[in-house]
Amino acid sequence: MEKTKDFRLYGAFIVLFLVLLPLGNLFGIVSNNTISLWGRYFCFAIVALGVDLIWGYTGILSMCQAFFFCLGGYSVAMHIVMKGATASGADGTSIPDFMVWNQVESLPFFWAPFQSFGLAMILGLLIPAAFAFVFGYFIFRSRIKGVYMAIITQALALAMWLLFLRNETMLGGTNGLTDFKSLLGFSLASPNVKLGLYLLSLAGLCGTYFLSKKLVDSKFGKVLQAIRDSESRTSYTAYRVLDYKLAVFIVGALLAAFAGMLYAPQTGIITPGRMDVRASVEMVMWVALGGRGKLKGAIMGALIVNFLYSICTSLFPDSWLFILGFLFVITVLYFDKGFLGMIEIIGNKFRKKQITEKVSGRQVVES
Amino acid sequence: MNYIVKMWLGFCLCLFIGKQVSAQSDSTSFYVNEVLSPSNDSARTQAIKRLVSIRNPSTFPILSAINDKKIYMVDGKAVTTGEVEELADGSEIFPLFYLFPENKPVLDTDGKPKKTSEGSLKKVDISRSDRLSLNLILPYLNLANPEPKKRIVAYGQLLTSADDTKIKILSEALKLENDKEARTAGKEILFQLKLNEAVSENEARAYIDSLDSNWGENVTIILKEYSASGKLAGAKKYAAEKVEALEGLQSRIEKAQNLFSGLSLGSILILIALGLAIVYGLAGIINMAHGEFLMIGAYTTFCVQSLFIDTLGIKSDMFFFVSLPISFIVAGLFGLVLERLVIRHLYSRPLESLLATWGVSLIMVQTARSIFGDLTAVKAPSFLAGGWQVMPHLILPYNRLFIIVLTIVVVSLTYLMLYRSRLGIQIRAVTQNRSMSACLGVETRKVDAITFFLGSGLAGLAGCAMTLIGNVVPDMGQTYIVDSFLVVVTGGVGKIAGAILSGLGIGFLTKVLESFYEAVYGKVLILALIVVFLQFKPRGLFPDKGRIAED
Amino acid sequence: MKTLQIRQWGILLLTLVIGLSGCGGSASGDKKTEEGETVKIGILHSLSGTMAISEVSLKDVVLMAVDEINAKGGVLGKKIEPVIVDPASDWDLFAEKSKELLLDKKVSAVFGCWTSVSRKSVLPVFEENNGLLFYPVQYEGEECSTSVIYTGATPNQQLIPAAEYMMSEAGGGYKKFYLLGTDYVFPRTANKILKAFLLSKGVPKENIVEEYTPFHHQDYQTIVSKVKQFAAGGKACVLSTINGDSNVPFYKEFANQGLSAATCPIMAFSVAEDELRATDTEFLVGHLAAWNYFQSMESAENKKFVEDFRAFCKKNNLPGGDKRVTDDPICWAYTGVYLWAKAAEKAGSFEVSKVRPALYGLEFNSPDGLVKMDTKNHHLAKPVMIGEIKPDGQFDIIWKSNGLVNPEPWSKLTSPDKDCDHVGHGGTYTVASK
Repeated sequence: MEKTKDFRLYGAFIVLFLVLLPLGNLFGIVSNNTISLWGRYFCFAIVALGVDLIWGYTGILSMCQAFFFCLGGYSVAMHIVMKGATASGADGTSIPDFMVWNQVESLPFFWAPFQSFGLAMILGLLIPAAFAFVFGYFIFRSRIKGVYMAIITQALALAMWLLFLRNETMLGGTNGLTDFKSLLGFSLASPNVKLGLYLLSLAGLCGTYFLSKKLVDSKFGKVLQAIRDSESRTSYTAYRVLDYKLAVFIVGALLAAFAGMLYAPQTGIITPGRMDVRASVEMVMWVALGGRGKLKGAIMGALIVNFLYSICTSLFPDSWLFILGFLFVITVLYFDKGFLGMIEIIGNKFRKKQITEKVSGRQVVES
Repeated sequence: MNYIVKMWLGFCLCLFIGKQVSAQSDSTSFYVNEVLSPSNDSARTQAIKRLVSIRNPSTFPILSAINDKKIYMVDGKAVTTGEVEELADGSEIFPLFYLFPENKPVLDTDGKPKKTSEGSLKKVDISRSDRLSLNLILPYLNLANPEPKKRIVAYGQLLTSADDTKIKILSEALKLENDKEARTAGKEILFQLKLNEAVSENEARAYIDSLDSNWGENVTIILKEYSASGKLAGAKKYAAEKVEALEGLQSRIEKAQNLFSGLSLGSILILIALGLAIVYGLAGIINMAHGEFLMIGAYTTFCVQSLFIDTLGIKSDMFFFVSLPISFIVAGLFGLVLERLVIRHLYSRPLESLLATWGVSLIMVQTARSIFGDLTAVKAPSFLAGGWQVMPHLILPYNRLFIIVLTIVVVSLTYLMLYRSRLGIQIRAVTQNRSMSACLGVETRKVDAITFFLGSGLAGLAGCAMTLIGNVVPDMGQTYIVDSFLVVVTGGVGKIAGAILSGLGIGFLTKVLESFYEAVYGKVLILALIVVFLQFKPRGLFPDKGRIAED
Repeated sequence: MKTLQIRQWGILLLTLVIGLSGCGGSASGDKKTEEGETVKIGILHSLSGTMAISEVSLKDVVLMAVDEINAKGGVLGKKIEPVIVDPASDWDLFAEKSKELLLDKKVSAVFGCWTSVSRKSVLPVFEENNGLLFYPVQYEGEECSTSVIYTGATPNQQLIPAAEYMMSEAGGGYKKFYLLGTDYVFPRTANKILKAFLLSKGVPKENIVEEYTPFHHQDYQTIVSKVKQFAAGGKACVLSTINGDSNVPFYKEFANQGLSAATCPIMAFSVAEDELRATDTEFLVGHLAAWNYFQSMESAENKKFVEDFRAFCKKNNLPGGDKRVTDDPICWAYTGVYLWAKAAEKAGSFEVSKVRPALYGLEFNSPDGLVKMDTKNHHLAKPVMIGEIKPDGQFDIIWKSNGLVNPEPWSKLTSPDKDCDHVGHGGTYTVASK
């Protein structure tokens, strides 16, 4: 029963996003904007998967996922900007245009590796992973958890945000990186490339979903849930809790960075505004609203909240914050299993009604 | 009246400077007329330039009125306004003074001084360039200015003046000087002028010593200049020694100033974190909307101010003292509502409450924005403007001192409440073991509500204090909130002593690091330090001990 | 039974597709613009988040202009229908919303953006989709987009005249310049141009100091004491591109450390009436600012504009009500709407490709007096003014340029080889050296 329901859901998802939307786009019914909008939502859904692994399954509330997301985004953006650079520095090498007004004469050393696409991709994953490893190691070693963890990671997000805002960091300051022209020779302005990126994001989401599912269903996943339910008891049974937490923290960071890499070319800009404290809390919010501890819930939350964000800022420009704010509060208060839980509750009631109807119907026939 | 006295003093001085007047008086009145009703623009410029070069004392009042942009025409005569008087209905009127040929009050038909509002006067517009051409004689005009700040500028301008008599004028002017700061500044100029003209080494040394003991704003610069380009070799060396000593003193003062900034930042953090720490200790909840209660406190202060000034028409600084308790109560009531509607359902789920309160903070910020719109500011009470001059060059602003005192008072009251009252015992009991206290007859629900009221109220109080140093904007709560979270975490669960120690520690560290690095790098370093600190004290400065420490 | 289920699924999916492709539906919106009584314009100003403080006023004034035009019968017989969205000070959302306005709502023109980063964020979207953005804020130049109509000042319409004035006899003949700004693209470029200008006028390098502070910086103690040392010899002034809420603490500290407008004036490029409206101006009095428009201008058009704006805010119950003030960006946001309406009338069409050429050389009697679009690029020629801050937060206009100043999107000082010409060269081109 559960399996078939799952398959029906997957089927609907695939038909809708893999067939109907792209086809609609090709025939001009669905606009390019919608396509790139959903492409970006998929990226957010990938981050949400990471958040769910860390928070929903392991019980660690991390509020710096947006920072990892931006590390991934920046690495791709740096590569694109490097390739599109038209200005030349004092020593003849080409440097990105924004450095010219910044009065930078030559390319900073850490930009050099991003000239190669492969290296940029590797670094885009390696840097967040290394960061998560070092930061996570110190935090988990001292057994910081719960609200403490939330606050420390929040402070990290704040500090990094301030750092990226500086022009001295050589990453474009407040303006971030923009003016993306082409990636691997494909012009980012063309609708087909946009559709391609959309499909790539969809594939990325499906791929990461099934990997995460495998992870969750494995023994590793069971240990994570054990840690969530009682960390001390898990450690008494000779599991090295630190290793498990560190591993899942790194996985979460990798997922976020991967999503960031897909996100930057579709948005056309990456700025420190994406990594402030608010952005990180929002990411946790998606999972909370979708239903934490369920991978489907995380995806659903990310898609629905972002879709609502897009719609409400257009339909109710003056009052959308009230709407979203109340939605957050009410969901947290009354639907602690999120949208997924809500659907289940409604579904159960509906089914019960059906069953009772059926039962009573049969009774009528019998009598 | 003070204005007139000063004007007359100015006159005496002017007479002292004055050259022979009588022969020029005809041409003077011609130029004055030309200034007031010029045949064309360049004629006015020319006339002002002439008046400046004539330096007739009788024209000084009119020239200084031009410089202050307070020159008006009444019945074809130039007048200026005196000190403002306020009428019962809040409108402002000014007494009028004729400027030329005599500086005397304008009388109405009854022989009483005529007073009028500024709007009813016809202003004479004189271009900035013409006003700037008065710069040449500004020193003389302003030496008698009623405002000490203007006089300080005037003393400074004498330095570059080419007039031979300036030392004499300056020492005359200093005899009349009654403002301490202005006297120091004036003396500094005097000694500098004398030092530059000193011919014997002893004389120069004496002036260097006087400069040193006078200890004005620019003394190091003056002595440095002298030690580099002075005429007397021995005195140059002496000046260089003095500079070194002064610079040492200066750096010590800078350190003191830095420590004070740290103390001030620390007390702000404590004030914000105190409420947070109490609530956190009681319920394990980090209230993400805590910053918004601060905002509510600030807007309450703003409303009280508008009520006092706009509605009741009371222009007194009392509004600030009234708004202190009101902002506490208003923010506390909002906290009570939040507790009832939201937090109550989430006591067993701290992480969810973090998210719910975050949603609440979104709503509150947007509500404030749609009610109050944009940037507003509370005008700080006048007795909190300026600063306490501990010693020359070390000024501690009154508003910051006030916040420090307020913090001390609030912390002591909170301490008394927690440790010397029945309510305090109940709060501490619930903090330690909720179910056991409930068993013993403590009404935990009521204690929760009261604690939340107190915590939010403290934030409101902090918001009221914050209006003294910053703007009042809807998202003002965000500025310090992450820092105060850190204070709570570093301090330990619900410990007042912890919040105080860590608040001060973070405040001092921030300011010390800021003086070495830029603010941003300071912040990153602080975070690193806290992470390292938590390696050794994972439960904060004052962790719970014994069985309650377990999960 | 089974077939019915499949059909149900199909219907569900179809409704979902329609729902997901953005509300309103793109196809139907298309026809409405062509045949209906209205023409749509987009308003893309942040109504929430950090930039709301500045941008909400611009949204208000654009709506006022729309009301006025509609009251007179609209444009080409059609009423204007404003589509307001909230990009929420979120730079990514700016790009997303501009896509939505252009592709889904099919607006004829967009009025919006304030910060450089928001403009940079939407720029590719407008260029790809042939949109038209009216950008009302003074900016750093070095840009020449076909899709943006810059109604705010270029550097030479604000920075250079101000620096020239400070150096002149009339302005005080200042010899030393402290260039102080917030750390982002406008101050950086502005100071680059100012520095080049000052050097070209023979100001020695050691008499120019450049310094930047982060956004929302509040503690100006160290910087002001540096300025004080710098100004100790006299004849020094500060050219400030400090932004937003940092200004009040900076001016406060400046006064507290004993500096004043008489000894060392601050010439500001980002302080306008709207920011001074509710703050304590005591410490700012006597300092200077350079803009193209001030509320205190005496002309009849301006007085009417100011009155109308107040009445509009009061009527619509906007925060501030009839205490609202106008300032430079507000004036240009208002002018932008009229320029677009006039150009559409002239072109006889709302199509961007027809409206754009109609804009070249267009004249409009704005609250600021007669202003004129450049004949070759997308900037306005307008007067430059310098004002002295008064205690009530208004400005005393102490200098006015002689007639209109032509725009220079590429500063002649820093990029002498570049120019912007959409008629002959299709954008930025390299000037052949003689």
